[in-house]
Amino acid sequence: MCERLIHYMKSCKRTVKILVILLYLSGMQVFGKTYSQKISISMQRGSLVSVLQSIKQQSGYMFLYNDEAVKGIDGISVHLKEVSLEHALEIVFKNQPFSYYFEGKTIVLVPRPGFPVKSQKEKPEVAIQRTLRAKVTNQAGEPIPAATVSVRGTSQSTKTDAEGVFVLMDVKDSDVIIFSSVGFQQVTLPVSQVGASVMMPEIVSVLDDVVVTGYQTINRKLFTGAATQVKMDDIKMEGVVDVSRMLEGRVAGVSVQNVSGTFGTAPKIRVRGATSISGENKPLWVVDGVVLEDVVNVSNDQLSSGDPLTLLGSSVAGINANDIESFEVLKDASATALYGARAMNGVVVITTKKGKSGKARVMYNGNFSSYLKPSYRTYDIMNSADQMSVYLELERKGWLNHSTTSTAKDGGVFAKMYDLINIYDETSGQFGLRNTPEAQNAFLTRYANANTDWFDLLFNNSFVQEHAVSISSGTENAQHYFSTSYYNDSGWTIADRAQRYTANIRSNYNLSDKVKLGTIVSASVRNQDAPGSNTRVDDAVRGEYTRDFDINPFSYALNTSRTLTAYDENGNLEYFRRSYAPFNILNELENNSLNVRVMDLKLQGDVGYKFLEDFEFNVLGSMRYVKTGRDQRVTEYSNMAQAYRANWSSSVVSNNPYLYTDPDFPIAEPMVVLPQGGLLHITDDEMVNFYMRNTLKWNREFDAKHTVSAFIGQEIKYATRRRNYNRGYGYQFDSGGVPFTDYRIIKQLLESSDNYFGLNEWYDRYAAFFVNANYAYDRRYVANLTFRYDGSNQMGMSTTARWLPTWTLSTAWNIDEEKFMENVHAIDFLKLRGTYGLTASMGSATNSSAIFRDGSTFRPNLSELESSIQLVSLENSELTWEKQYEANVGIDIGLYRGKLNFSADYYNRNGFDLIGSYRTSGIGGQAFKQANYADMKSHGVELTLGGKILNKSDFKYSANLTFGYNKNKITNLKNTPVIYSMVVPTGGVKEGGAVRGLYSIPFVGLDPFTGIPSYITETGRPGVNVNMQSSTTDILIYEGSVDPLVTGGFSNTFNYKQFSLNVFFSYQTGNKIRLNPFYRSMYSDISAMPNEFFDRRVLIGDEQFTNIPSILEFREYTELGAAWPYNTYNYSNYRVVDGSFIRLKTVSLGYTMDERLVKALGVNSLSFNLHGTNLFLLYSDKRLRGQDPEFFNAGGVALPMPQQFTLSLKLGF
Amino acid sequence: MKKMNNHTILLLVACSAFALLGCKKYLEQAPDQRTQINTPEKVGKLLVTAYPSGNYMMFAEAMTDNVTDNYVEGRTDAINTDSYFWRDVRSISRDSPTSYWNDAYKAIAVANHALRAIEEMGAGSDYLPWKGEALLARAYAHFMLVNLFSRSYDKNTADGDLGVPYVTQPETVVEQSYSRHSVEYVYEQIEKDLKEGLPLLKDDVYSVAPFHFTRKAAHAFATRFYLFWQKPEKAIEHANSVFPDGNIVGKMRPWTGRYRNLSYNELAVEYTKATEPANLLLIETQSWWGSRWRDYRYSTSVGQRNQIFGLSGERNITGGTLAYITGQVGLTSYYVRKFTYFFARIGGSSGTTGYGYTVIPALTTEEVLFNRAEAYIMLERYDDALNDINTFIRQRVMDYNPATHDLTLDKAKAYYAVSQDNEALIKAILDLKRPEFIHEGMRWFDILRHRLPVVHMDIEGRSYTLTANDLRKTLQLPQEALNDPGIQPNPR
Repeated sequence: MCERLIHYMKSCKRTVKILVILLYLSGMQVFGKTYSQKISISMQRGSLVSVLQSIKQQSGYMFLYNDEAVKGIDGISVHLKEVSLEHALEIVFKNQPFSYYFEGKTIVLVPRPGFPVKSQKEKPEVAIQRTLRAKVTNQAGEPIPAATVSVRGTSQSTKTDAEGVFVLMDVKDSDVIIFSSVGFQQVTLPVSQVGASVMMPEIVSVLDDVVVTGYQTINRKLFTGAATQVKMDDIKMEGVVDVSRMLEGRVAGVSVQNVSGTFGTAPKIRVRGATSISGENKPLWVVDGVVLEDVVNVSNDQLSSGDPLTLLGSSVAGINANDIESFEVLKDASATALYGARAMNGVVVITTKKGKSGKARVMYNGNFSSYLKPSYRTYDIMNSADQMSVYLELERKGWLNHSTTSTAKDGGVFAKMYDLINIYDETSGQFGLRNTPEAQNAFLTRYANANTDWFDLLFNNSFVQEHAVSISSGTENAQHYFSTSYYNDSGWTIADRAQRYTANIRSNYNLSDKVKLGTIVSASVRNQDAPGSNTRVDDAVRGEYTRDFDINPFSYALNTSRTLTAYDENGNLEYFRRSYAPFNILNELENNSLNVRVMDLKLQGDVGYKFLEDFEFNVLGSMRYVKTGRDQRVTEYSNMAQAYRANWSSSVVSNNPYLYTDPDFPIAEPMVVLPQGGLLHITDDEMVNFYMRNTLKWNREFDAKHTVSAFIGQEIKYATRRRNYNRGYGYQFDSGGVPFTDYRIIKQLLESSDNYFGLNEWYDRYAAFFVNANYAYDRRYVANLTFRYDGSNQMGMSTTARWLPTWTLSTAWNIDEEKFMENVHAIDFLKLRGTYGLTASMGSATNSSAIFRDGSTFRPNLSELESSIQLVSLENSELTWEKQYEANVGIDIGLYRGKLNFSADYYNRNGFDLIGSYRTSGIGGQAFKQANYADMKSHGVELTLGGKILNKSDFKYSANLTFGYNKNKITNLKNTPVIYSMVVPTGGVKEGGAVRGLYSIPFVGLDPFTGIPSYITETGRPGVNVNMQSSTTDILIYEGSVDPLVTGGFSNTFNYKQFSLNVFFSYQTGNKIRLNPFYRSMYSDISAMPNEFFDRRVLIGDEQFTNIPSILEFREYTELGAAWPYNTYNYSNYRVVDGSFIRLKTVSLGYTMDERLVKALGVNSLSFNLHGTNLFLLYSDKRLRGQDPEFFNAGGVALPMPQQFTLSLKLGF
Repeated sequence: MKKMNNHTILLLVACSAFALLGCKKYLEQAPDQRTQINTPEKVGKLLVTAYPSGNYMMFAEAMTDNVTDNYVEGRTDAINTDSYFWRDVRSISRDSPTSYWNDAYKAIAVANHALRAIEEMGAGSDYLPWKGEALLARAYAHFMLVNLFSRSYDKNTADGDLGVPYVTQPETVVEQSYSRHSVEYVYEQIEKDLKEGLPLLKDDVYSVAPFHFTRKAAHAFATRFYLFWQKPEKAIEHANSVFPDGNIVGKMRPWTGRYRNLSYNELAVEYTKATEPANLLLIETQSWWGSRWRDYRYSTSVGQRNQIFGLSGERNITGGTLAYITGQVGLTSYYVRKFTYFFARIGGSSGTTGYGYTVIPALTTEEVLFNRAEAYIMLERYDDALNDINTFIRQRVMDYNPATHDLTLDKAKAYYAVSQDNEALIKAILDLKRPEFIHEGMRWFDILRHRLPVVHMDIEGRSYTLTANDLRKTLQLPQEALNDPGIQPNPR
């Protein structure tokens, strides 16, 4: 215990010191309030009004006085130079019948007793008392109920009623009335100025003036970091359900790539590019002050895999976009400093809406949208006639012959033809098809003319509806916001469906002047269907990804021959062969599906307590529970289940991998182990997350020049993730769900050291302490210092690796506050910022102590199996966090009252202690280690230019252009990658390249005799056989970064009277893309080919004009042996294109109904919006031929972002 | 669930109050379901992986005279090719020397972790059998390494020959520096572990004993160790401990009996089964050898088969017909089907890619018999040696007739046309071992120990010779190991 205490004392010495200093500062006496704004007045016999005017201009303080009383006081001569405000006032009022006091930034003049004012002389002595009655409204003229109305300096006060009306008895003319209500700015008026109605401005503009970091809300003037705020109203993409996608192109330096568009999958988001070589590089999402933990870890690379897990990849998929007020993207080390060792990848802070006091306001938002079907026009796939002619060439080349095709694993038209020829009906003496050229021609003609439109068959012009209702209401002491929404997507493909329900209740209470309380309860439920999908597997030998039984409708349509037909001549489903079993995509999508369910519940509360004069103590607590389920339902009628039963010929029996060879009977034939039923694979993921934070804030202004604030706190996080899976075999979907399990399929699983059920748990424990100090001199010079100390259990049991201190220093100079800027009226604000600091993130390694895992042996005989414990990783006593020093300089300029805003940032980052793969001598027992030794550098520029360029009463135009540039380079990495890992579309990792660089195998040319492509192989010499597992990666060509170097967007909003039009473009450039892999050594009669195959090398000599390889003859194929030159071709430099594009992302046309008309309808507001999303690419590389430059066509559950049209209706009551 | 939540909330509250003090405890939670080695059972489970999961047979076999260039058949493989021409193998894939190096040292690391855990737990009597196994496993892996990567033991130079690092502590830093010491030092260390570990072993703690160092296996290993170290008395002593009842025949492979009726596939399963009494130590390796041993380009050919097995007019020392079942791939490659392989699919039962596993017989009854015979020869106890050799012959020759098939000193000297008794008998033993241990890499160790030359031919008819004291007989260390300043390369 004692040792622990000492350890604590040591580790926290600095924190403790700072606390002591703060306490000391707060205990200091402050001698009188002085306002030291320098005032200079030189006036000869001027009026008091003009003197006050002058003081007002120089100090920014307002005066409140009775006009009558001040009028006519003139003949004042004052000569003041650079004196304090207080001093100036003292002199000015020395001989005047007024005294004064400060009310915030207002100076209130009151008659001085015994110094009768002129007006009083003329009027009777008795002060007039009267009853004040008025209506309090907001800017829109709507009444504010329950607003407090009080008389300054007295205990007299009342509240407005439901109509916003108040009555105050017995007020004197000299009284000053204060109006206050939560959500509104306080208004102070003398009685004389209180008319029939009093307008209180809402605190909406507050968001403009402050930065919300999730820990603090800081005045933007005092903020020293790089952060960009966007309001939901400005960026909302109606009909798009995942809010993270709305950030695309909106914030300079934030890159959003829609690698898949399926609901629930996250886009690949990077703030200022990647910071880690092996880590996830995902920004931290923070909702209302609490980090949104991921339910399952899906790395950025995994996002593009199309695996079922990716459907749970988006942290924000459960958030109703209508609940969001704004996003704040924290980019540099200073902005993210309070996130310390989790901040390296940037932070996106979401602020949700709060209730406002006043009459209950109900908003309805309805979206009705449709996705457009993709079409063959966009893609470059052969029609069925052309495809058939290629098949005939294949036949000539010895491919589609009778004997091999009729027992092939997969088969299309030709396989069907040979099957029919094989059928002999003994009673009629007829063959299924006569084996004559005429009969065959007639048979093939039907399919040559089929021209099946798979897109049309597999996709819908779907109907998506979203309804959201919110109610905001409250009094001064309690405000509530309630919302609920329903989203239903009937599915772009025939296999997809998604429904989501959300609810959110947020309440804020002012228990007293000192104590505030807030609560949030939010929940969302999702129910989604997707095509059944397995996890994909890398085949590093051939160089391809494989996914068994992939039925992704998009990749099916792109990769399946248009000669195949979905229906036969009688209108029945027509089956072809896949995995030795009958296959029809329509049947399969119906019988092989993935059902995803998510339940997400969050409870959150916070208490704020103000004590002493300048202190505020806050406690924030949050609990979140997420439960998800993924069921793959493969019925007994599916091709997948039937593939387990395919044993219709001896060649199938020996080749079908889904049959089982019992090692106890090595000479027995492989047998069927799924005789009945289908497969039911259930995976449940669950997360329990607690979070608690205690903070103490202190603020004080000294001499009106020194603004000092300090913030100290502690937080703790707890998250436990759990995965529970069950692989069911023989489940009979059509027989009451009764399982019929052959024990041998379980035996087979066990023999492959696999299990049919399991439960995995992950424990995430985190604690942190932080302190922040901010000092501003005269609002001009700001300095900020943050120190944070993070502790986590994620690196393992060692106590040394567990803790990490981080710090940031930053400063800002508000040039517009300088004296010399006083007369520069064009400039609203001008600020220079600078930051230097250390941020960090957790690497992927967890071996600060040696890792042992339970497992089992791999032995052919079940009787010889033993459970074992594997030494997974040696201890790495040097393990630490991944770190980065970042320097940032920025400038913010506002011109011409908001007409033009400009912001620019330059940063330079030095990443070190990054986790990289390291090959050791092997003597310690681990040849490849993950260790903190790699370095990378990156730098970038961010520019934002925008503003309300035209602001006439009828016509308004505003624009916003963002530009983000980020370039990174790995400067130290001693990994030994193999060729295959470098050339895949998601990129490889190598010293000297980008964090994800695209590498290519150098294409040499086509062999003049065979048309087989050849390359520079790993031996350094040309050849057809590149060993994809070779670690000789020097031969590869570096194409460039996979991630775009430049990203941005350009938004234009036009308003004309009631109409608004928004046109938004997004763009990226500087990256390379690998084209979809179409080339193979062998093609079957189900393969679809792109039209570029027309240009393939056919005859000797063609290779001088084309780089597209020939279709191999069967004989040539067999001679290749274990070489895969055609797969290699997909990874050659010839299959790489530029990734730049400009996309017309959204066009939105809106109409807001005229107020009078709306009132006549009995509602408060009504507007319509027509929204087009993902419309088209204005520019992209021609060679993409329809391939979406953002999308990775990985199969599984991945779908590109569809073109979408939405009608949106907003109704306010 | 409920219980845990309460617990958690309590923890959170406690943490807030006691800040760091509570948090230290709080952060001690492991991040996942990793195991702590804290009971005798867990030490035992850990030691299941204390045996090298690499397989030396592929590259060792390719370097011997058991193989030749079967250019018509067979797959071209860089490891197979480089080994055949005694070049440094660059590939680090499965079945390469580097992969064996890494896996053997990994086994050593596992043993060292087990030993550390035992020490931390107080090394009570429950732990002692496991301590024995850990010491034996550590000794075995070092022994294999020193024989492959150092010059084969030579009394006269062992003090100066470069050994291999003898690792006795778990590594805790990213890159630790090691030194090679001498071959003599490594042998001494092995003996130390062997002597300390052997008395602690207890056969009944194992669930599948033939995959562990039982007493028998340990004695068998000791026999090999002392024979290689040229201490014949000790080799004999340990060999006798393997057969305390003298019943050797009942524990040998029944080639002339039960094996005769097996199909190729059945033989493959039977040969490396735990129930086969001849298998004194089986090791599970991650290796493709079990599926590919017969179809590499450089493999055993018709000519090789005839020479090794004494077929098609070639002679063998017994004069009889050997009982081995041989098979054929294509026109030229011949093999004995000794291995099955196990395919562990990635991604569950529907996947088609994965890893191959091969169980190999690391120590067998037959080897102990041969080792004892060789030890007798070294002590010039020729009758005892002949007795062992003939015990073997009786089990391997069809229609065994002692009068015609048994070996005598005269018969051996005449057969090899040599005058020295010991030379004749050694040659006989080496010749008998070749068919018995074909595909198992054993021949390579015999070539090393007896300084035999090897001649390889290529397709063009060029011949390549590995001389008796060829430096290439010692495998070069992996490049990464040579980056360690404390590690010198083997001379070339």
